[in-house]
Amino acid sequence: MSTVSRPTPAWAIVTLREVMVKARDRSYLISTLVTLVLIVGVVVFNAYMSSKAEEYTVAVTGADAVSVVETAHETGQADGGNTSFEAVEASSREAAEELVRSGEADAALLVAYDGWTLTGNEELANGLQQGIAEALRAEVLEINAANAGTTPEALLEGSEFKTALLNGDAENQFVAQFTGFVFGFLFYMAAIVFGMAIATSVLEEKQNRVVEILATAIPIRQLLYGKVAGNTILAMIQLALYAGAALLALTFTGTADSVSTIIPASGWFLVFFLVGFLILASLWAMIGSMASRTEDLNNSSGPVLTVIIVALFAGLFAKGQLLVAASFVPVISTVAMPVRMLSGEIPLWETFLSLALALAAAYALLRFGEKIYRRAVMQGGGALTLRKAMKLEQ
Amino acid sequence: MLQVRNLTRRFGDKTAVDSVTFDIPSGQMTGFVGANGAGKTTTMRMIMGVLSTTSGEILLDGAPLDAEARSSFGYMPEERGLYPKQPILDQLVYLGQLHRMSSTDARKGATELLERFGLGGRTKDKLESLSLGNQQRVQIAASLLHEPSVLILDEPFSGLDPVAVDSMVELLRERTSAGVPVLFSSHQLDLVDRLCDNMVVLQQGKVIASGTGDDLRAKAVNRHRLTISPDAGWVRDEPGVRVLDVAGPTAILQFDDDDARQRLLATALTRGSVEEFAPIRPSLSEIYREVTAA
Repeated sequence: MSTVSRPTPAWAIVTLREVMVKARDRSYLISTLVTLVLIVGVVVFNAYMSSKAEEYTVAVTGADAVSVVETAHETGQADGGNTSFEAVEASSREAAEELVRSGEADAALLVAYDGWTLTGNEELANGLQQGIAEALRAEVLEINAANAGTTPEALLEGSEFKTALLNGDAENQFVAQFTGFVFGFLFYMAAIVFGMAIATSVLEEKQNRVVEILATAIPIRQLLYGKVAGNTILAMIQLALYAGAALLALTFTGTADSVSTIIPASGWFLVFFLVGFLILASLWAMIGSMASRTEDLNNSSGPVLTVIIVALFAGLFAKGQLLVAASFVPVISTVAMPVRMLSGEIPLWETFLSLALALAAAYALLRFGEKIYRRAVMQGGGALTLRKAMKLEQ
Repeated sequence: MLQVRNLTRRFGDKTAVDSVTFDIPSGQMTGFVGANGAGKTTTMRMIMGVLSTTSGEILLDGAPLDAEARSSFGYMPEERGLYPKQPILDQLVYLGQLHRMSSTDARKGATELLERFGLGGRTKDKLESLSLGNQQRVQIAASLLHEPSVLILDEPFSGLDPVAVDSMVELLRERTSAGVPVLFSSHQLDLVDRLCDNMVVLQQGKVIASGTGDDLRAKAVNRHRLTISPDAGWVRDEPGVRVLDVAGPTAILQFDDDDARQRLLATALTRGSVEEFAPIRPSLSEIYREVTAA
């Protein structure tokens, strides 16, 4: 007999199988690939849009207008800008409007006794409007200042201000919000996709009664641990893959400025994600073991989905005291705590306390899930409620 | 040897298995028979530890059976269970590994078993793409792969064609000659008769008969056939003899004791020419019918 020694513990064999089965699942591979392409695509598209050259042709009738368009061009080209303006002189107001109508000019900049008008054909592009408006303001300011015997600089002196926040710093606020959204969404996706994978894999074994054979070979607890570990690894790999692709794309497209802010927070997010996912994994395993058909999963997964959605929304929309509270509730803290850490300094002990609470919850749920799983997974017949499952004898 | 002692299982008020006691001797095949609902599957699940016992115990070579020892058992559950969407070789290797085989040994063993069952060319096929009979063969392979120390098989022959039954029997014989105790349940009494060294008959949760074929035959009601010419009609008047059937020169008889038998033979020799006077050897299926009808 070849039963001298077991090369690997039983749960590790189960884990390996969970990973390998998924790794060979064509629809899983395709959906991962499509998501990767989408992530890289979005990053590249954004970078392209922000660096794209914009060229505007403006029909004018006088030297004043030419000067405004030239100023707009100078401002557009300054600081590595890529917006250019070109003036086309027309003989009259009507001729200028005709150029716009025929599409030879994007707009006509005309001056009358009641002031300036920028006329477009069907629409006025934002960049065009802003560029001309700024240039016009600067020109007029200079003329008015000269008339008043002063300079624009003198007029504007002391009007500049900096932004500051009592809690957190302003610069991070936007990055925090955006990163929080990404974190929340990734957690939401992984929690559902891999959570469902755990539930269906448990149910598959229950439905096909493989579990009877497995239970005689290894302690049923090991089977549960193996499944939870396998799907957690899969979720982490996928998360790392998506994050890696996004960071890589950001670096290559030169949008890397924000990367240095995101990476440390991402590290913490991964830690919280791991613990949060472990908690949910036990819940999903319980759901799978209590169901008797795939249809049952739709009904019984409701409560867990609610928790996941609350976690997502708390991370996105909670503010102030509510966010502080949310950052200590296991599962919900998965998104809320990293978001708090991104948007300002918080004492390290708070992070560790939140993590400890989540770990304690993960452990408690794994033990409880194990009890339910062991009882329910051997039970034939219809779907079980939690109450019924607790009452089952083994 | 695996010993089942006073094994009892209640589901609510219903007693599915009622103080069942029997042995599964090493190196022998024990047939487990009984009507549907007699408690065979419940007993087997308790032996495998899949179902907890209400009371009673199971001993392996004299020591109480634990999970560690069970993990080397081979089990074929009543409801067949494997992964429908997995290639058959892959899942056998997985089960072998869970039974502590190295992946190389498991792959080698599984390939050999599948070849013996004529599935050598289909190792990469998904289970669900196989016919029911072939799925059954894979299931059998799953229970034999890790060279189990004890085999508990619930209806292993149902759904198999005669060729598959023969290769299955051959495999089981290999296991028993290696000293493995085998318990299998079946409704095919002729098969049980052909294969089994022992038989355990269960009825409504109780063992109503058990032992080797000879034991059971010895316990079975002792009948004789007498053929005498010209006519056997006179046996009706003999004391201590019950006549079960008479037709011309042949009578089927049952004796109250040995004296009655000897007396009848002596009388017969004076009545005519005795052509045959012999005990009737009942088949196990006849014994089964008799004990379950009682």
